[in-house]
Amino acid sequence: MRAYLALLGAGFQRQNTYRLALVAGLTTNAFFGVVRTAIFFALYRERDQVAGLDVADALTYVWVLEGLFAVVWAPWFWELAEAIRSGEFIAELLRPGDPYLRLAAFDLGRTLSVVATRTVPTLAVAALVLPLRLPGTLGGLALLAASLVLAAVVSFQLRFLFASAAFWTPDYRSMFLFAFPVLWLASGFVVPVDFFPDPLRALVDWSPLIPLVMAPVRVATGRSAALTVAGQLAWVVVLWLAGRLVLAVASRRLVVHGG
Amino acid sequence: MVAEHPGVYLRLAAASVRATARRPAHLTARTLAAALIVAIEVAGVMLMLDQFGSIGGWQPAEVVVLFGLGFAGQGLALVFGDTLEASKVSELVRRGTFDQVLTRPASPLGWVVASYVDTRFVGRHLAGLATVVWAADRAGVAWTPRRAGLAALAVASAATIIFGVLMAAAGFTFVTVQGSEAVNVLIYGGQYVASYPMQIYGSALRFLFTWLVPLGLAIYVPALGVLGRPGPPGLPARLAWLTAPVALAFVAVGGLAWRAGIRHYVGTGS
Repeated sequence: MRAYLALLGAGFQRQNTYRLALVAGLTTNAFFGVVRTAIFFALYRERDQVAGLDVADALTYVWVLEGLFAVVWAPWFWELAEAIRSGEFIAELLRPGDPYLRLAAFDLGRTLSVVATRTVPTLAVAALVLPLRLPGTLGGLALLAASLVLAAVVSFQLRFLFASAAFWTPDYRSMFLFAFPVLWLASGFVVPVDFFPDPLRALVDWSPLIPLVMAPVRVATGRSAALTVAGQLAWVVVLWLAGRLVLAVASRRLVVHGG
Repeated sequence: MVAEHPGVYLRLAAASVRATARRPAHLTARTLAAALIVAIEVAGVMLMLDQFGSIGGWQPAEVVVLFGLGFAGQGLALVFGDTLEASKVSELVRRGTFDQVLTRPASPLGWVVASYVDTRFVGRHLAGLATVVWAADRAGVAWTPRRAGLAALAVASAATIIFGVLMAAAGFTFVTVQGSEAVNVLIYGGQYVASYPMQIYGSALRFLFTWLVPLGLAIYVPALGVLGRPGPPGLPARLAWLTAPVALAFVAVGGLAWRAGIRHYVGTGS
């Protein structure tokens, strides 16, 4: 347990060293957040509520999304896949302890650094100047914090599954070419999934993409917050099992090209 | 300067296209994926706008015409300019490849651009054009030679401006080596801003993207003419003639920034 906590701390420290990248990232998020805010203000000029969302819900969506952007699309997205292709990954299997837990701990350390330095400040500043809808009670804030951490965990678990394509093909990026646009839409990065037509929305609501962005938005705006966090937890368990299964199958057939 | 033989660059470009065409399935997949991103983004935006009915007095289909023009321009710019993105220039510098480029009897810009033509962005360009045709039809646009000319002007000007941003960014990367992802704000963010009617933004955003990084001027103003709209006060449709000279002036500034970057280039040693 202590070893995994140390890894988590190391991941956190490592991500904290990229100061300039942090400034560039915050600038990018702030810019897109401002533009999307202007768009929603214009859209809601003549309407109060659309698909169950009012302007405060929409603005909260914008800033939670900008805050979580680098958690989902982590700058180290392809690191694991590259390690698998190059063969470096074999070292992970030789180290003591559980490889999946080790990877999860280190990655969670890095994403928690992103949550602390990007998500929280972005949301806090936006909440000061814009009419966002955020929880006003301690219990509500605790649920939001839990939801953000669970989003970080699920983001690792999905990245792990994508990276494990590299166990089967060195051309793993091609597999992602067509997955990316679908993920981009279905996880709510283009528009809130609440605006989708009903059948599509029902489909998306039962996918592991909801915990990434839409669940934290729902928890922040207080729409069945506890149930939403429970749903995120359920996905963590399912993806945990899936990840372990893939790792077990893959490490048995892993071929490392020596030299 | 070197005696210029445009033929050299054409042959270099042809060679880089042939190199990617050696794996036709791979090239097709990458091109289709680039087009799919456009289709998905347009579909999402259309779903949202349909829920609201209009934005800033514009119908959803009219807004999507702006999206299409922007994607078509961006795709065209990235076919030639993707290699000027921070991460790629940074790699050229760190590996010392750019040192060799500077010793060749060719223009560095011509060499870099011609050697790394990325045909997959043709997918984004064509999907953007298809979006324009589809959305203009839904918006009830009756195409005339003048309107088609305005749409072409928008695409060409937007591509020119984005190429200018990429050149300036590459010049910046020569000095800092690391480059910065903040440039994406201008390339992708600028196109995003210009994909909605400019009157919905506050004066700061509108000024920035009309006159400083003039993507709004390049996309929105000609689109007013395509859609038969007069335009808001201060940004009328008849400003469209300004688009081409402003885009050319912008790309010239980008070229100066590229040259300034090369003058300060010191390499990274070995």
